[in-house]
Amino acid sequence: MGLEMPVFQAYRGAEPPRFASQAELECAKVLDYYGVPWLYEPRTFVLEQSEDGRVTEAFAPDFYLPEQDLYVELTVMKQSLVTRKNRKLRKLRERYPDVKIKLFYKRDLERLAQHFHLDLAS
Amino acid sequence: MDPRIGDVYLSAEELAARVRELGAEIARDYAGREPILVGSLKSSLVFIADLSRAIPILHGLDFIELAGYGSAQMGGHEQIRVLKDLDADIRDRDVLVVEDVIDTGLTLNYLVRTFELRMPRSVSAVTLLDRPYRRLVDDLPVRYVGFVVPDELFVGYGFDLEERWRQLPDLRLLHQV
Repeated sequence: MGLEMPVFQAYRGAEPPRFASQAELECAKVLDYYGVPWLYEPRTFVLEQSEDGRVTEAFAPDFYLPEQDLYVELTVMKQSLVTRKNRKLRKLRERYPDVKIKLFYKRDLERLAQHFHLDLAS
Repeated sequence: MDPRIGDVYLSAEELAARVRELGAEIARDYAGREPILVGSLKSSLVFIADLSRAIPILHGLDFIELAGYGSAQMGGHEQIRVLKDLDADIRDRDVLVVEDVIDTGLTLNYLVRTFELRMPRSVSAVTLLDRPYRRLVDDLPVRYVGFVVPDELFVGYGFDLEERWRQLPDLRLLHQV
């Protein structure tokens, strides 16, 4: 999508990130602003496989903060629609208990928008 | 009053009692060391003024202000900018950062990293409010916490609503209308 991309200083990935939404871009800009190293969707976790080994469900969290060893998943969906994503996170935690991940809800983003005066409407 | 300003969450009396406890605890821990309290402007102003008067040992006061992301002061910069730096030299000093609220920890993380480059004896933090469940940055030296609070917005006791109402003596819930 046609998002205006700044030159990121704290991005640690090899390829330029291709964000799926304005909210993801804004989150990346906030991390960059505060100098927190980050990667965008660096790893896809297999959640379910069929009996013949095919991947039937996978999950790629939006951000990874290497200094924190923390994955962050953003969602701008309404709280009532987050259930499916929560289920994925639960599966990920069950299957990868050593992986730290946090889900940032629409409300968290609104708070960032309010605190930092961001425009998340688009 | 603004219709977005809601009920009292913490009364002035509850705030004062907790600040007294924090002050006594800090005085015990820093006895004989003359720490320097560093307030992160602007929302911590009321808290640091009360906290300082609740610490019955010698201590210094200083302030720092960062341009918040997206603020008018950001001025197009894509990296964080210090609007007002410390006046004091903190080399070999015990620095106690005074925060209004710790949420993601991004601001405090930046401050701690910045101060540590100046070779202080120690850097710790005291916060009036804490939302540890919102933390993105862990391993922060948060030594004293006033109140762990729910995922609500607040106004009063230094917290503003569009740069107003910082002077309210109680901490009140802020509703989005």
